[in-house]
Amino acid sequence: MLIPRRVKHRKQHHPTRRGMAKGGTELAFGEYGLQAVTPAYVTNRQIESARISITRHIKRGGKVWINIYPDRPLTKKPAETRMGSGKGSPEWWIANVKPGRVMFELSFPNEKVAREALTRAAHKLPMKCRIVRREAGES
Amino acid sequence: MSEVKIVAQLRTEFGKGAARRIRRSNQVPAVVYGHGADPKHVSVPGHELLLALRTANVLISLDIDGKSELVIPKAVQRDPLKGFLEHVDLLSVKRGEKVTVEIPVSTEGEPAPGGNLLEFVLNTLPVEAEATHIPEGFTVDVEGLEAGASVLAKDIVLPKGTTLAVDEDAVVIQVVAAQAEVVEETEEEGEAAEAAPAEEAAAEEA
Repeated sequence: MLIPRRVKHRKQHHPTRRGMAKGGTELAFGEYGLQAVTPAYVTNRQIESARISITRHIKRGGKVWINIYPDRPLTKKPAETRMGSGKGSPEWWIANVKPGRVMFELSFPNEKVAREALTRAAHKLPMKCRIVRREAGES
Repeated sequence: MSEVKIVAQLRTEFGKGAARRIRRSNQVPAVVYGHGADPKHVSVPGHELLLALRTANVLISLDIDGKSELVIPKAVQRDPLKGFLEHVDLLSVKRGEKVTVEIPVSTEGEPAPGGNLLEFVLNTLPVEAEATHIPEGFTVDVEGLEAGASVLAKDIVLPKGTTLAVDEDAVVIQVVAAQAEVVEETEEEGEAAEAAPAEEAAAEEA
């Protein structure tokens, strides 16, 4: 599972969920991609689950790229704890994904299989997604 | 490549408010620059520009207040979800002038059987070409290429008057062998093992 080796601050504020993706909105490596349509925090478990669903569906003969990284910790206070006494302990690692971001890219010779693999990955993710394909010739 | 004629209007007001007003009236804010001249801020009809930009490096004859000017798109900003144009940078060019542009590369044929996969190292090939004779695209024949084979920039046949703007030994496309299924399981185990010390390290920092 993806996890940062070292972080500057163990407990961070929640990242902002407003706005659109500023970069990484187009395919950079593969022929097909999974693009976020709504914003969401994606945990490292969800990323791993989506990756596994892609690789298990394409079996062999393809290549997968993951363009997001869960570099932000989210904290949680234990159950039945009174408020105060400081911030809770880190519980999840998340990637702050904004609309337009291409999260996964895939190269595979068969389009039908590639689309099915990405659809299965989309089911593991907490936001609405769409599949994008490289279009040759556009500026 | 044929020219596309578009009538543009000079912009007099600037900033996000003005730009949004322009976009609401189905126009696109754009800037024309090049040849050391002062940049011109213009608004261009959105639909016409969108259709023109379907061709890579399209040559546009821009009519600004009755004066015609040849331009090519330099940078295009689109809405990441809806795809409409937000702003366009247009580079002013002259007939016969050489410009450096990125030409899309496409393939024909299938690599050798056995699950081989094409990997585009360069999706576009930077070349120097005459502004009025920019190639629309390059097609590379990959029929029967074995795993490990690669297509270099020098292998691509360029039209007359066009030269490469990258190292001629730069890899454009390479054929990679299919990954075995077994690799996935070992990767997972490896990553899980890596993750454990990282979590411990994060806890120690506290």
